[in-house]
Amino acid sequence: MTAAQIRFTSLLRREVSRFLKIKRQTIGAPLLETFLYISVFGAALGSRIDELNGIDYVVFIIPGLIMMAWAINAFTNNSSSILQQKFQRAIDDQLSSPASPLELLLAFSFGGFLRGMIVATLTFSAASVLVDVPVEHPLILVAALFLTGFFFAQLGVLIGVRAEQFDDVSFAQTFVLQPLIFLGGVFYSASLLPEPFQTLTQFNPVYYMIGLVRYGFLDYSEVNVALSLALLTAATLLLTAFNHRLFARGYRLRA
Amino acid sequence: MALQITDLVKRYPTGTEALRSVSLDIEAGQFFGLLGPNGAGKSTLIHCATGLAQPTSGTIRVFGHDAIEHYEEARLAVGLAPQELNLDWFLTLEETLDYHGGYFGMPKRDRRERSKELLEAFSLTAKKDDRTRTLSGGMKRRLILARALMHRPRLLILDEPTAGVDVELRLELWHYVQRINAEGTTILLTTHYLEEAEQLCSQIAFINDGQIVAKGTSAQLASDYGVGTLEDAYLELVGRKELSRARVGEVAP
Repeated sequence: MTAAQIRFTSLLRREVSRFLKIKRQTIGAPLLETFLYISVFGAALGSRIDELNGIDYVVFIIPGLIMMAWAINAFTNNSSSILQQKFQRAIDDQLSSPASPLELLLAFSFGGFLRGMIVATLTFSAASVLVDVPVEHPLILVAALFLTGFFFAQLGVLIGVRAEQFDDVSFAQTFVLQPLIFLGGVFYSASLLPEPFQTLTQFNPVYYMIGLVRYGFLDYSEVNVALSLALLTAATLLLTAFNHRLFARGYRLRA
Repeated sequence: MALQITDLVKRYPTGTEALRSVSLDIEAGQFFGLLGPNGAGKSTLIHCATGLAQPTSGTIRVFGHDAIEHYEEARLAVGLAPQELNLDWFLTLEETLDYHGGYFGMPKRDRRERSKELLEAFSLTAKKDDRTRTLSGGMKRRLILARALMHRPRLLILDEPTAGVDVELRLELWHYVQRINAEGTTILLTTHYLEEAEQLCSQIAFINDGQIVAKGTSAQLASDYGVGTLEDAYLELVGRKELSRARVGEVAP
């Protein structure tokens, strides 16, 4: 391994070991939360709801729940990890090392990305035992989930770097992220919404992410798949480039 | 030259000028002391040399490598034991050293051997699997020094390493850093304990209000200020000569 590879794997190992050491909180809790959603909305309420566009209600909500688990865990992990290390000043150990801004950014990003992937995979595996979850377009599904996961991982890095107190992180999560995800159509089809909510939903970027993931699983989509995928790719690249600029400038990391 | 700082200026966005055109040369092999009151710019200077702060202007070269343009080589040559006990709470002692070695590109086998050696040298082996937050203050201090030495830096920067440690540990640290200095490691030490600087440092600089105001051996500095001891020279620097030990016991008129 080259020195750069050793640096990157060490930075990433630190991020992964952090969430694995507190896995009850970082993996157990989100898994339970997802299952509560499936139980309440799928099993309890779902039995009273007819099929949505020919799909069982519980099956209809599972793709959105998987996407939501990946997104929220990627975001939360990275924002908390970075802020915590800034608080303890432990991050100075990484910042005074020869690691490049890109190595630092990618290691911090992939920490949350991998946590989201673990929670999403476990959710999918367990849901598959309970109900039959089809995978109609595996390539689109993998691309959509990876891009969404990486986008939220980057967003978590951005908020973690900008944040000065834990309130900043929970504000972003509670007042921005959760509403966007919940109103993006995890639990319903936007076509059922009355106006102006149906039109407003079209301005929510998460709506397109859920649309893509649902298409990958169920071959059902309310969004333009190719266009959504292209826009999601562009947004992810832009955000990564923006974060890279912040790391290169040392924004709120180096005095 | 181990560290060559030329016309270094650090101005924070608030407008505070922490360093005002500082120039300082530290030769390879020296044990160099940087003394000054709180807020004089010691830590800012150290942070600029280690990449934790970005200079507004001026240059810093570590063993000839520009600290900005060639930060990779420059940072490889520096080990920093900061003033704050900035350990990662999630890691064990052994992991702390192992990850640090990894951040500096050390291969696995080398990391394993080096961390074993340092844990032994700092009497931390029995605690190696404990999380860092369970350590006493003195042990944290030792671990921070071990971490700074992990990647075998040629320049070791110690920012107030003995603040708040007991006599025994202070002497232990003195012996250790003196030994590695004798083995060839250049050392830059900041401290508020003047006897520590006198005992250890071959060269001392006074920094005040973001500027280097005097430099030399302990005896030279005392003679520059026309006093008998380094402590009195320091008191002259900060304008508090009435606090001189020579006057302790004098009854105020």
